[in-house]
Amino acid sequence: MAIGTQNLKRFFSQYKILALLFAIAVIWLFFGQLTDGAFLTPRNFSNLLRQMAITGMLASGMVFIIISGEIDLSVGASLGLLGGIAAIMDYTYHFPVSVTIVTVIVLGIGIGLFNGYWVAYLRVPSFIVSLAGFLAFRGVLLGLTKGTTVPLESPALVMIGQAYLPTLLGNLLGLGLFALMAVLTFKTRAGRAQHGLAVPPLWQDAIKLVVIGAVIVGFVYTLNLYEGIPVPVLVTLIILGIFSFLAKQTVFGRRIYSVGSNLEATRLSGVNVRMVKMLVFGLMGLMCAFAGLTTTARLAAGSPSAGTLGELDAIASCFIGGASSRGGVGTVYGALIGALIMASLDNGMSMIGVESFWQMIVKGAILLLAVWIDVISGAGSER
Amino acid sequence: MSEYLLDMRGIVKDFNGVKALDGIDLKVRPGEVVGLCGENGAGKSTLMKVLSAVYPYGTWQGQICWEGKELKAHTIRETEEAGIVIIHQELMLVPQLSVAENIFMGNEIKLPGGLMNYSAMFKRAEELMAELKMPDVNVALPVYHYGGGHQQLIEIAKALNKKAKLLILDEPTSSLTKSETEILLDIIRDLKRKGVACVMISHKLDEIAAVCDTISVIRDGTHVGTRPMSGMDTNEIITMMVGREIKNLFPSEEHPIGDVFFEVRNVTCLDVNNPKRKRVDNISFTLRKGEILGVAGLVGAGRTELAMAIFGCYPGQYDAELWLDGKQISVDSPRSAVMQGICLVPEDRKRHGIVPLQGVGANITMAVLQDYAKFGVINAEKEMHQIEKSIARMRIKTASADLPIRGLSGGNQQKAVLSKMLLPNPKVLILDEPTRGVDVGAKYEIYKLMFELVKQGLSIIMISSELPEVLGISDRVLVIGEGQLRGDFINDGLTQEQVLTAALGQFSELAA
Repeated sequence: MAIGTQNLKRFFSQYKILALLFAIAVIWLFFGQLTDGAFLTPRNFSNLLRQMAITGMLASGMVFIIISGEIDLSVGASLGLLGGIAAIMDYTYHFPVSVTIVTVIVLGIGIGLFNGYWVAYLRVPSFIVSLAGFLAFRGVLLGLTKGTTVPLESPALVMIGQAYLPTLLGNLLGLGLFALMAVLTFKTRAGRAQHGLAVPPLWQDAIKLVVIGAVIVGFVYTLNLYEGIPVPVLVTLIILGIFSFLAKQTVFGRRIYSVGSNLEATRLSGVNVRMVKMLVFGLMGLMCAFAGLTTTARLAAGSPSAGTLGELDAIASCFIGGASSRGGVGTVYGALIGALIMASLDNGMSMIGVESFWQMIVKGAILLLAVWIDVISGAGSER
Repeated sequence: MSEYLLDMRGIVKDFNGVKALDGIDLKVRPGEVVGLCGENGAGKSTLMKVLSAVYPYGTWQGQICWEGKELKAHTIRETEEAGIVIIHQELMLVPQLSVAENIFMGNEIKLPGGLMNYSAMFKRAEELMAELKMPDVNVALPVYHYGGGHQQLIEIAKALNKKAKLLILDEPTSSLTKSETEILLDIIRDLKRKGVACVMISHKLDEIAAVCDTISVIRDGTHVGTRPMSGMDTNEIITMMVGREIKNLFPSEEHPIGDVFFEVRNVTCLDVNNPKRKRVDNISFTLRKGEILGVAGLVGAGRTELAMAIFGCYPGQYDAELWLDGKQISVDSPRSAVMQGICLVPEDRKRHGIVPLQGVGANITMAVLQDYAKFGVINAEKEMHQIEKSIARMRIKTASADLPIRGLSGGNQQKAVLSKMLLPNPKVLILDEPTRGVDVGAKYEIYKLMFELVKQGLSIIMISSELPEVLGISDRVLVIGEGQLRGDFINDGLTQEQVLTAALGQFSELAA
């Protein structure tokens, strides 16, 4: 009986993800129907993923911010600022690409930690800190670029945003990923057995691996039908892997969830909760750097308006993907699925010629709906 | 017509089958001040919540007659309209609004069109303030300009404005200084002359004696007796309050007690909202190795604040000097306390103990998670191994270590929080109300565990509001009253009466 309830709970937590996947399927079929299949071509699939990559990067950082019970409204502006700095370093000062990338990443982490310091140590609400950043970072960008678009010079930098992986490399990567999952699964089994803990039956893990394999094959195959895996999409997937690992398997990840679920109890257990919060913002800054570099590379220029409203897409993705507005709940893959839903709506509505004001209204309504679902599903539970 | 303003008869209120009130009577005549006394958890607050319809009519059994007619109120608004106004221990004022606005909250005098009639409200507020002998108060100023004593009186003004015939004061002096208390008691006497009746819940028997005409004592949800105040002395009241025998619920076990190794000196905590007032007033004590030190006192006496100061988490200003193993240590955060061997199991489990959404296991290893990690990566198997050990040792009943802890019963949650604070291998373990909201079986197990721990050389400071528990478990008992150390007793034939007398009265030390 005990195991029965446990499985039921597991099923329900997975059900949330199933519902999201179902939503994606409905959206895709809907637009596929309206566009006579143009929406469902490998080419558009590739476009769609490239569109979602930047929001996805921001959402991967944002989801930890939201889990820890905070918010960051400044990420669109810091994306723009960091992308602009990359363009200026490349075009105006001719720095080598590697120096530009490293500098932007360090600056990004710095901006994040700066925000985090104000939130965690100086105790200014994150809403205000990031609203200040929202204004100030955009201001710095406008000052640096004098309001003009700065083109890129180095083709290597442009590749970050525009290149595709060769088919062969894509295939090898897919294979490698599958092998990694298989090794991890069996390592976990061996580890549990060694410590005398219950090991799930072999067939369960086998089915899991088959499903993972099928998804990888489908994904790589479809993208290879067009040009191959886009580099930004690859980066986003790597982030997904690393961050999911961070969330589940590391001390830091565990702390983020417990800070968001009950800050006081975590503090009274002897955890340095301020440091945790500050580092979460640092991570967000890193993601802004990635997103900024990708945006600039994709446009082949640093635009003073890059990343405008990016924070809202990222926040909406997290909530659509099941993060809780009360903190303590959320997943990186959920946030990415949320980003995919947002990108699908954008892409699909553009294809069928819906005017952009309608797109904003629809996205706003969906955000509202997603948080409402979270609120009513949590209302009955004691907290 | 009955001679009583209020006549409550046979009130029974149960929570999920547990009787909090079991046939209580309470009678109040017009203009009478009744002191309602009882130990912590006796049911005083529950009774007042029944009276003021916080628990609406129908959720309890019995009868309330108000001015001779049966009262069947479903909302607080109805009872307030009838003239019953309760003033809670935690004041319900909005600090940023003016005194007048607070007095008229929800009851505003309006001009046509819904605008506030400030001149009328200010005028009436000034009248009320004058009536309460506080003509100096500027009713247009925000409430936060005034201290705890004034705020208490503003609450009373608010009640009087509602034409209260019966005021219920729940621990009205608990956050007041001595002189503020005097003023309040004067006001109560004054109201009595004007025909306003009053039920005063208080732990401070001298205050009860000073203003009450009648005293009503309840214990464990039953009515012990109602007597006229004149002719009663404190000892009689204490006997009425305690009156119960310690049953053999406590698995007392012999254990060796070593030398003094932990000293707490000069702890003083200032009230967060009223810094003039000391929540803890210069308390010092010692702790021996392998000793269970009980800390008794009434709710609000400053015990939890003392524990928080030792653990480095008191929210206001405080001073504390700690000596461990002959060396002075500095504790400025729970983190540094845990690292130096002091752990605290907090009183409010929901707010301070558990991380509700995380698994039982994650809660247990929270304080020592880095020990199971290399370069920040958790060795899940190693962690799970410890979790299963802890779950087995404490007999925590859960289907899985991954289940969110909020689904567990209070007793199992408490055991998990205890395991969490044992994993850092503390030298001093502070337990604040370790058995609150815990069923009898789990209680027994927690006591057993405490003895097991002291036998291993750990020392325990146990704060408890249950006197039988303090006397049944402790080797030594500290009694705290109104922020001061009122007694330090070796628990050898110590009685509940002695402890209560110390908690209520002056410092007394039995020969050690």
